[in-house]
Amino acid sequence: MASYFTVFKDESKLDINYVPARLSHRDSQLNLLTRFFQFAIESPGKMAQRALVVGRVGTGKTALAKLFGLKMMQMAQERGVNLRYVHVNCRERRGSLFMILQQVILDFYPHFPKRGYSSEELLQMLMQVLDEQNVFVILVLDELDALIENEGADALYKLTRVNESRLKSVQRLSLIGILRRLEVLSVLDESARSTLQRNVIFLEDYSKSQLRDILAARVTLAFKNGVVLDDALDLIAESAEREGGNARYGIELLWRAGKYADASAAAEVSPECVRRASSSVYPVQKEAVFSLGLHEQLFLLGLARRFKKSKEAYLSMGEAEEAYRIVCEEYGEKPRRHTQLWKYVNNLTAVDILKSKGSGDGFRGKTTLIGLPYVSAVELERELSKRLRL
Amino acid sequence: MSIEEIFSSKGRVKILRLLVEIGELNISEIARRAGLNYATAIQHLGFLEKAGLVLHKSFGRIRIYRLNEDNAYAKAVKTLIEGWEQQGET
Repeated sequence: MASYFTVFKDESKLDINYVPARLSHRDSQLNLLTRFFQFAIESPGKMAQRALVVGRVGTGKTALAKLFGLKMMQMAQERGVNLRYVHVNCRERRGSLFMILQQVILDFYPHFPKRGYSSEELLQMLMQVLDEQNVFVILVLDELDALIENEGADALYKLTRVNESRLKSVQRLSLIGILRRLEVLSVLDESARSTLQRNVIFLEDYSKSQLRDILAARVTLAFKNGVVLDDALDLIAESAEREGGNARYGIELLWRAGKYADASAAAEVSPECVRRASSSVYPVQKEAVFSLGLHEQLFLLGLARRFKKSKEAYLSMGEAEEAYRIVCEEYGEKPRRHTQLWKYVNNLTAVDILKSKGSGDGFRGKTTLIGLPYVSAVELERELSKRLRL
Repeated sequence: MSIEEIFSSKGRVKILRLLVEIGELNISEIARRAGLNYATAIQHLGFLEKAGLVLHKSFGRIRIYRLNEDNAYAKAVKTLIEGWEQQGET
């Protein structure tokens, strides 16, 4: 077997789920968050806290929360406090309170039945479980926007008020909401909003030099010594800054640049690797698209073809279905029915490939409107056709 | 309760085995996995609970059963089943 050279030492350090032991330029926010929740270690059960972490994409919200969680768990263990940190991504749970609570409860009872009760009942069951096991939970609702979009103010209201109905008993459920914009909360009523907004931590966009620090720290962890050229790192930091101070983009670009270096058997990651990588990170999120099932890909292909010819930003569900049926005919596949397609739309929206919304006024009846705002239709069609070759 | 009474039913043995292997389960799941109907499963569980071998916790309408690890007979049953399964693996 031919041996090959790689610039990486440990690729996993560039994974989106990796939480570094120290977050550059987020120390003060981490301290603040820890201070908000200090009571959970010092006098658990006396109160429940709520906090929000707000910032744009790639400003370190999730990483901050997870690092905070690790630290809290460590401190709790030292003090013998039974504290659990539970991180739930609301979008992955389709913005449903039921599914979110279910994930939390499955953490305690892995075989808890999956159906047969309402989200209110589930919330009560969760509180009962916490009481019985004498556990305190810090529940992190990542991408809280999804929960609010899907369930309106109600779900959050229930979550924030669950402790109030138990005034005399021990307070067990604290919340941290992670969201991109505070305006999302405008659907909540005054009182719910004010209880949530008492503790808000804003994460500003990273500056170029901050991004460079972050990337340099990751380079040390993930790459072999000296293989990433300074100029390449500068270029990545610049691109990430242009993307709105998006560190996640920067890290993905760094990883991809490393992959390009490996693919061309280069000994180092040069600015050229970065340039080639940057044309591939966006607009098509290839992994996301290719991990889809056959019919989801066919559906997307139909959409891409329609959008290529159309000047409209949105297609109706009917038009999308028609485009999909034509593609199915071409590929000799039996088309899936409406409900399944509707599920595809939800799924594709959740992974940020599509955008969908209700038709609202100006349409006869009610339909879902589907947009393709993040990806070029031409490129998507090319990629999918290549992949789905007849 | 005598050992014959506990082990005289295939359904009860299946339920005990499930609880030893999985830990905690609700009734529907026990019934499904043991291939019993719901009513039979409840009957067996009631029997086993009366004998002190299993315990349940209620969450609203949901009842979750587990082996009663504080009970010496339950412990003996667990040892037996685990030992039995191990033999099967070798």
